[in-house]
Amino acid sequence: MTARRLAVPLLTAGGRLLADRGAVIGDLGFYLIVTVVLSALWRAAAGPGGEIVGYSAGALTWYAATSEAAICAISIRLIAEVGDDISSGDVVTEMLRPLPVIAVRLSVQAGRSLVRLSILVVAGAGLCWITVGPPPSGTGALLALPSLVLAVAANLVLQHTVAAVAFWLRDTRAPWFVYQKLVFVLGGMLLPLQVLPDALQPVALALPFMTMAYAPARLASGSVEPWLLLVQLAWLVVLVPVVVATFRLGENRVQVVGG
Amino acid sequence: MRGLLAVLRTALADALARRGAFWAQIVMMVLNDLVLIAFWLIFFSRVDTVRGWDGQRVLVLFAVLATGAGLVLGLLSNCRRIPEAIVRGRLDETLTLPVRPLPHLLVSRVDTINLGDVVVGVSLFALVAHPTPSRVALFVIGTLLGAVVFASFLIIAGSLAFFVNRDEPAGLALHAVLLFSSYPVDIFTGPAKLLLYTVVPAAFVAAVPARLVEQPSAAGAGLILAVAAGFAVAAWAVFTLGLRRYSSGSVWTRAA
Amino acid sequence: MVVMSALPDSPTGPAIQARGLVRRFGSGPAAVEAVADLTVTVEQGERLAFIGPNGAGKSTSIKILTGILRPNAGHARVLGLVPWQERRQLARRIGTLFGQRSQLWFELTARQTFHMLAAIYGLDRGTQVRRVAELGELLDAADLFDAPVRTLSLGQRMRCELTACLLHEPQLLFLDEPTIGLDLLAKQRLRELLVQLNEVAGTTIFLTSHDVADIEHVADRVVVVNAGQVIYDDTVPALRRNLLSTKLIDVGLEHPAAPLSLPGVSVLDQGETTLRLAVDTTATSVREVLDAVLIGCAVSDISVTDPPLEQVISRIYQQPGTPAGAGP
Repeated sequence: MTARRLAVPLLTAGGRLLADRGAVIGDLGFYLIVTVVLSALWRAAAGPGGEIVGYSAGALTWYAATSEAAICAISIRLIAEVGDDISSGDVVTEMLRPLPVIAVRLSVQAGRSLVRLSILVVAGAGLCWITVGPPPSGTGALLALPSLVLAVAANLVLQHTVAAVAFWLRDTRAPWFVYQKLVFVLGGMLLPLQVLPDALQPVALALPFMTMAYAPARLASGSVEPWLLLVQLAWLVVLVPVVVATFRLGENRVQVVGG
Repeated sequence: MRGLLAVLRTALADALARRGAFWAQIVMMVLNDLVLIAFWLIFFSRVDTVRGWDGQRVLVLFAVLATGAGLVLGLLSNCRRIPEAIVRGRLDETLTLPVRPLPHLLVSRVDTINLGDVVVGVSLFALVAHPTPSRVALFVIGTLLGAVVFASFLIIAGSLAFFVNRDEPAGLALHAVLLFSSYPVDIFTGPAKLLLYTVVPAAFVAAVPARLVEQPSAAGAGLILAVAAGFAVAAWAVFTLGLRRYSSGSVWTRAA
Repeated sequence: MVVMSALPDSPTGPAIQARGLVRRFGSGPAAVEAVADLTVTVEQGERLAFIGPNGAGKSTSIKILTGILRPNAGHARVLGLVPWQERRQLARRIGTLFGQRSQLWFELTARQTFHMLAAIYGLDRGTQVRRVAELGELLDAADLFDAPVRTLSLGQRMRCELTACLLHEPQLLFLDEPTIGLDLLAKQRLRELLVQLNEVAGTTIFLTSHDVADIEHVADRVVVVNAGQVIYDDTVPALRRNLLSTKLIDVGLEHPAAPLSLPGVSVLDQGETTLRLAVDTTATSVREVLDAVLIGCAVSDISVTDPPLEQVISRIYQQPGTPAGAGP
């Protein structure tokens, strides 16, 4: 029942995004530029026939396209936007609805992100196919699809948790900024985690950020490692209760202290 | 000239008056640059050179970009706001004054945050580029000419709003030229590389000036000087032509 | 009284001469003519109210005459200059005030903006100090110049805006909806200042508004535009006789009122506790009607208003001799 009611905002948000052609083209354009630049860098670094930390030039191209798709599927300003809604008191009106605030919000964002992700994946796969040919492993590429969805889900959940600091601190810009950088480097968006200094790799692999870009990109670049999906699921199981609890605490605070 | 200086001074005073979370933003800006520098350090710990670019040269490139783009987006902040000014009719204020509209518009907004990039860029150059008087001179000249190309490109892209009356394309153009400029241009090949030397002149914003610092040559200096002059003239021409079509933000439809 | 310097090298012809101005927005079948064949002449020293309903083309006309917009067709000379070709020379000699835009920097003091404008107009230090002092006195605004503009009320800000656009002693002042959003007192104040400026310095005033009171209290001549064309052009006394002769009186009553019979007074609406009258002031003055109402009824509230501009315009169309094809 609740699931059905949550499907409505999800589908509406997705449909609304599709209808805004200017925004879709803008997002797509940005994604393609980032992907072209990053994959060109890695291809040039590996050289023809060469490799870097086990990745061939082709694998690095698929890696870059996949990791960027996972990150670009979410509005880049999401944390700041959610934070503004909380600190401006807009969130109070949402607390009057029969559904939990966080559930509705996640549902709306999931709708938007899934539409965006689908468009980016098609465009990114097309780009890679033209420049370096098919993905290094068909199985890996197939596993990357559910992994991308899990990556976006975990990222959305954690971003909302970070944004919820606005219940206590007014401004979320600084946390947003730090979060972004953590995902870029330790999440493996800018570089495969194996490129990190040896001492840093186990740290990055133990943090949840790796589920948001590295996991699907690793699969798409030809490493058939299904356990990555299990790690993603496990992190999601940990992160969802955290965001629910954080919002509940925050909403209680609003009710006690006032907006 | 006296007028322009007065406007710039006023814009600076305005920027200092509305700085809000000034230091927090400066720190974030610097942090952002440091993460990118860290990226290059990590990258070059696994890779020796990329098509002739080693770690030091890429850091010089980054210093040129941070300084040049920081100056443009900081002191000539309206470079990126031209489409918004066109679409919302904000050129009216400029056009009621006895001034040349483009220079007046450019100097009439300062964003101090972007000046944080200039600090990072200059410090980075001082730290990694083994500055000698001649290298410093080349850095200054190259950075300024790159900044001219960068600003001109933003003006051209922004002036397209005179013709299409939308401001999204210019936003994408800003991101594109910044992104393409942050990487050694030689990682691109074929048509993409050609594009970066022409339509989206990212090569001239940072890579070519950085190369000039490392391998000074009269031909290189002449080339970038000519390109900067060409883009500046083109920017002036496109803006001037577009201004004839300015509609002062009037949105008229038959229904209304 | 402050004496402003006389107009230098003022050319003899009219201040504004516009003929057949056309400005379209958009293209193809969706294009709309905001200004359609506008012809108007304004003499030096006149106070002209340029009025019309929203979307009549008032702002577009001002923007053409100040050189901000290029017309698609037509000719114009403002102080002898073609605005869209000699915009910068013209800008030195005219002042422009847009009610919905600001010349002032919000975070800074007005004086800081004046300082910048003085440099732009090439005023030397002495002239600048003298002008700011003069205008501060004339507009009773000197004490507002050193506060950040964002801390001023709208009415105070308008007086600073006016100072800013008068700094260079313009011969001709364009004002686009200067009273919009101001409270009654501030409106009154601004109107008085404009008249004073005209009388003291001889500044030609070209004012747009959709407020009937702006016309009555500022202008000596009125041009009404609708759908981008001039549909009425006459002196204010004539306008008052012909078109603004009707006033509306709204009365709040404690008890239902006895019927009122005065020549030229018609009852538009009557309820238990309300009464709305339309008064033809050429037959009976407002004062006489008010006297009669106050004596004959238990009045709890009373207000006198002008009919809305739309009504005035529809009366213009009903009069003989309006331009053919200008109907709505």
